[in-house]
Amino acid sequence: MIIPVRCFTCGKVLGSLFEEYKKRVYIEGENPKKVLDDLKIRRYCCRRTIISHPVFVKGKEVKEPIDEAAQYE
Amino acid sequence: MKITFLELEDNYAKVLFENTTPYFVNAIRRTLISDVPKLAIENVTIYDNTSALFDEIIAHRLGMIPLPTHLDLLVFREECSCNGKGCPNCTVHYTLSKEGSCTVYSGDLRPEDAMWAVKDKNIPIVKLLKDQRLILEAEAQLGTGKQHAKWQAVCGIGYKYYPVIEIDSEKCNLCNECVEICPRKVLEIKKKKLDVKNVEECILCKSCEEVCKRDAIKVKGDENRIIMQYETDGSLSAKEVLMEALKILHKKYDELEKKL
Ligand SMILES: [Zn+2]
Ligand SMILES: [Zn+2]
Repeated sequence: MIIPVRCFTCGKVLGSLFEEYKKRVYIEGENPKKVLDDLKIRRYCCRRTIISHPVFVKGKEVKEPIDEAAQYE
Repeated sequence: MKITFLELEDNYAKVLFENTTPYFVNAIRRTLISDVPKLAIENVTIYDNTSALFDEIIAHRLGMIPLPTHLDLLVFREECSCNGKGCPNCTVHYTLSKEGSCTVYSGDLRPEDAMWAVKDKNIPIVKLLKDQRLILEAEAQLGTGKQHAKWQAVCGIGYKYYPVIEIDSEKCNLCNECVEICPRKVLEIKKKKLDVKNVEECILCKSCEEVCKRDAIKVKGDENRIIMQYETDGSLSAKEVLMEALKILHKKYDELEKKL
């Protein structure tokens, strides 16, 4: 799937924040806690939505399940 | 009543209400959640969609995108002079047309006028491969949180009593246990004395009270001083949204008074 536009629980907009999270955590290897704090994601409902979103890291590329699904459409 | 902003950002506010009651602050909270109007996409006409996502999912994702709301320029569609048909006073149109391979972002929504342009331009809507296309038209209108959560301007709103921490330094033996157990690190030992570092951070969990064997700490909440915290989704600023809520509440009390 693709990253949810908003947090399931509280409704905070997360879609735009995930782009930066993806780059900093999966490519640059930063500590997820630090990135979440920097992005001002305060509540644990939003934090779990971001950290539990599945991705495939292929070298310098971070793919989401939708990228795989799109090929079979 | 006195209102102070402890923290104020574009989309986040921490407000201190003094000389008030929990009932009143809760009325404000509920008005913020369910009665403040904002703009959101309601109708989507899809002309072409060959992406991996269904039309419904795309429409759903579009509905959740925060749109800039100028409340002085818009009226509710049901109350509009056009009788709900849709006119520039009650409806904002957007168009979107993209061909792959690319990611379609919220910033690709083209408004009829630049002032309605989406502020948060980086929300991914769908990903397109080569030759996949997405062409659609969207209609946005005002609504309230009561009708649907996409029209809720605030999120993560809550309040707590102002924490009051009383330390009996005669009983305290500086064992440091309360300092360690506090999840917000509110307490500290300074110059051989237990002290409160940042009262406002305290969440009234009373772990320090429980861990203290000598009963030296008492944590209480002051019901007449209340700290409220909330975020907005970006369609209205944190200050605007509070002003609007107070206006609505005022109108409601006026109506009630007239009917009595
Ligand atoms: Zn959340
Ligand atoms: Zn109209």
